[in-house]
Amino acid sequence: MNDSVTRQLALTLGHLYPDQLNLYGDRGNIIVLRQRCQQRGIELRVVSLGVGDALAPDEYDMLFIGGGQDREQAPVAQDLHETKGIGLWAAIEDDMPVLAVCGGYQLLAHYYRPASGPDMRGLGVFDAWTIHKGPSVARCIGDIAINWNGSTLVGFENHGGRTYLGTAQPLGKVLKGYGNNAEDATEGAIYRNAYGTYMHGSLLPKNPHFADHLIGLALRRKYGKNDWDNSHINETGEWTDGASSSESLEIKDDDPSVVLTPLDDRLEWEAHASLLEHMGLQDAAIAALSNDNGLKVS
Amino acid sequence: MRKQRVPRVGSRLNNLRIGWQKRNIHRKQKVAERLPGNSLRNSPPNRRTTLRAGLAVFGGRAAGALSRRLHLGGGTSITGLVAQKVYPDIVGHLATQLEFGSVVVTGTNGKTTTSAFISAILSDAGLRVWRNREGSNLMGGIASSLVMRALPNGLLRRAGQAMTIFEVDEAVVPQVVETVSPRVAVFTNLFRDQLDRYGEVDSVAARWQQAVSNLSIDTILVLNADDPATANLGELFAGRVLYFGIDDPALDLTKQQGKSERHQVSDTRTCPRCGGDYTYDMRFFSHMGHYRCTSCGLERPQPDVRVVKAKTDDFDRLRIGISSSVLPATQPREIVIPLPGIYNVYNALAAATVAQAIEIGWEPIVTGIEQFKPIFGRGERIHIEGRTLRLLLAKNPTGFNEVLRTLFNEGTQRHVLFVLNDNIADGRDISWIWDVDFEQAVNHTSTLVVAGSRALDLALRLKYAGVAQDEMITVTTAPLRAMKSDTLLAARKKRRAKNRNVKILEEADQQPPLTEISHHYGIAEALDSAVRQTPVGETLFAVPTYTGLLEIQRELERRGLTPHYWEGRDN
Repeated sequence: MNDSVTRQLALTLGHLYPDQLNLYGDRGNIIVLRQRCQQRGIELRVVSLGVGDALAPDEYDMLFIGGGQDREQAPVAQDLHETKGIGLWAAIEDDMPVLAVCGGYQLLAHYYRPASGPDMRGLGVFDAWTIHKGPSVARCIGDIAINWNGSTLVGFENHGGRTYLGTAQPLGKVLKGYGNNAEDATEGAIYRNAYGTYMHGSLLPKNPHFADHLIGLALRRKYGKNDWDNSHINETGEWTDGASSSESLEIKDDDPSVVLTPLDDRLEWEAHASLLEHMGLQDAAIAALSNDNGLKVS
Repeated sequence: MRKQRVPRVGSRLNNLRIGWQKRNIHRKQKVAERLPGNSLRNSPPNRRTTLRAGLAVFGGRAAGALSRRLHLGGGTSITGLVAQKVYPDIVGHLATQLEFGSVVVTGTNGKTTTSAFISAILSDAGLRVWRNREGSNLMGGIASSLVMRALPNGLLRRAGQAMTIFEVDEAVVPQVVETVSPRVAVFTNLFRDQLDRYGEVDSVAARWQQAVSNLSIDTILVLNADDPATANLGELFAGRVLYFGIDDPALDLTKQQGKSERHQVSDTRTCPRCGGDYTYDMRFFSHMGHYRCTSCGLERPQPDVRVVKAKTDDFDRLRIGISSSVLPATQPREIVIPLPGIYNVYNALAAATVAQAIEIGWEPIVTGIEQFKPIFGRGERIHIEGRTLRLLLAKNPTGFNEVLRTLFNEGTQRHVLFVLNDNIADGRDISWIWDVDFEQAVNHTSTLVVAGSRALDLALRLKYAGVAQDEMITVTTAPLRAMKSDTLLAARKKRRAKNRNVKILEEADQQPPLTEISHHYGIAEALDSAVRQTPVGETLFAVPTYTGLLEIQRELERRGLTPHYWEGRDN
């Protein structure tokens, strides 16, 4: 290999249906992804993909889809099938990181069966389905904490539909709250690098490790796994290639966010721990605060 | 508190009253036809129902007095609850005795201010006015407000027969209009608010449609023409509808230079008739403006009472020109609204329209609005240690956005205290703060304190908006137990032992303290640090959510800075 090579890093995020599916402050997820990239000198372009816009998988590095009202979800479901389905499938099979929250999550499973009326067909990315059991069954509303990848994720859930997983792997195990269906203690679903979840809050602000996980996946996918593992980005967002850096860092395959420059996330973790404590999860709160990521100061 | 005047019972007012009573009788017959099963309610008051109503009044008032005596609370809600237990239709029973009828005010934002404006105008017109008070706008509170002015014989006191303004929670409107059959019903606007409690915006809209379709055609419906979801209610109603709206292109957000990129939360995006998208000729904020459906052509109705010109003289002096097709044609009237923000233009306009619906002339409208005393938390001015404290309630994304716009529009530096709580009355979900355009506040706060049970979440929101962390003080309600140094040190040691080979952790001992968050907690501390940071003679703007406002109110009361009871509060 030659001497150190530097490149400006840039990612493109496709935001699906920002006008229809933006009900629960999920815009916070976009704000956080953009800022956390920016602070590392990575440029994050956000492109809105509305009804009628085609989804060319080559043009994006990451996708986000939020939740909306029932009335607004139906035309979106149709568009998802007719216009964006093939592109989205191709992107997901090609390991593009996708975050789908609430309604978006339901749309990526097989179907949504409302209390009355016909089923709404989903894309079937997750082997899962959602059933609304009618107005007599209480909505799942409240704070939620789950176990994810050896740490915790916290958020707020508010959904009438109950989601049941087939072969899909859950995002995590519910510590407190309802999760997918209030029955089996699972929350969310994972397929390749696509993550479906009911967690609002917004999700990413109080879960900076998950935000970095998604950014890391996107960087690794775009700039190549092998290259990536022997390199890291410096503070100006340049990507340095070479042996010198690889010695100082332990790269774990399962945690791509390790290579990102750590940020000062003390406020994020404090908010995270505060919510855990509020839910009575004292040990998890202590664990979150003693988390190394949260203590490092950039 | 506004002094309530004794009515000058002039001939015009007598006409008002008699006209209303005639209609009211007609209404009762209609209701009786509609609900044949409910004989108890629709029969003329006989001995049994009167006795029962008397018992309900007695029971409710006794419970209220007891609750006050035992300091369990203001005794407001219990009065209505007990009375309703004794006689479920106590509201309907007493409401039919309202000699001048009632005005029902509902909507997401502006209910309290609009009700207070209406009250001021009607008082200035010489009418005696009753209002149900803030915080009790559910069925129980409405029952209380009627029971408290009834006699143990089941009849309203003479003074209690006044024109009544019911401020009603948007979710209970169908029950209320069914029971009290108002003379005027006004819907101010519909925004997303407390999704965990009300469900989706669409489900509130559905309840309103139900309410309007059950409304007696003798009721006059007053609707906001600029809000599609509200204006659309007019299509479902066979009776008289008056619309109000803004026609001043200078307020159009889309044409204001450099501000077009500002994030707007739009809560009504598609046409209720065909599902098509709206396009706007003028847009004032959120989804409010001159809209038109791109596919079926459904458009904003022409307002009957409209603001043709609006100009900000000062932070809380808005000069508007109103013209009306309800009253005999005249030049547009100029009125100065003594409150900040475009949302208060709508509130004043709604009140003026209600007044015109019941044939009240310009003079009381002008004086009622111009001499308006702000209600607690809606622009109220309080003097505290040589500083002025102004309270601006903000309880949902659009409300918050508009308060921020009002505060930071002129590029002035402000001293600000934000309070974010997640109690049931605020909504347990605080995700909505990410829909609020806090970016407006960046570089515009000279001092900033963030408080409340979700202070950390709001601090995080502000951090991501671009406010430097050392520019704000965060005051949480209670310390984090997990933050106690010994607990944390033990956990850290354990972790370190596990990861001994990871070099990064070696500097752990030299780490700076975990947090700069002060060791002060609670609303009193938050208020103190915000006041201390504000130089003497300057103004501190406090922007709390609903229960945050109540906490500030209690704290100010404790310090003797506000009267124990005031306009717009339970008593």
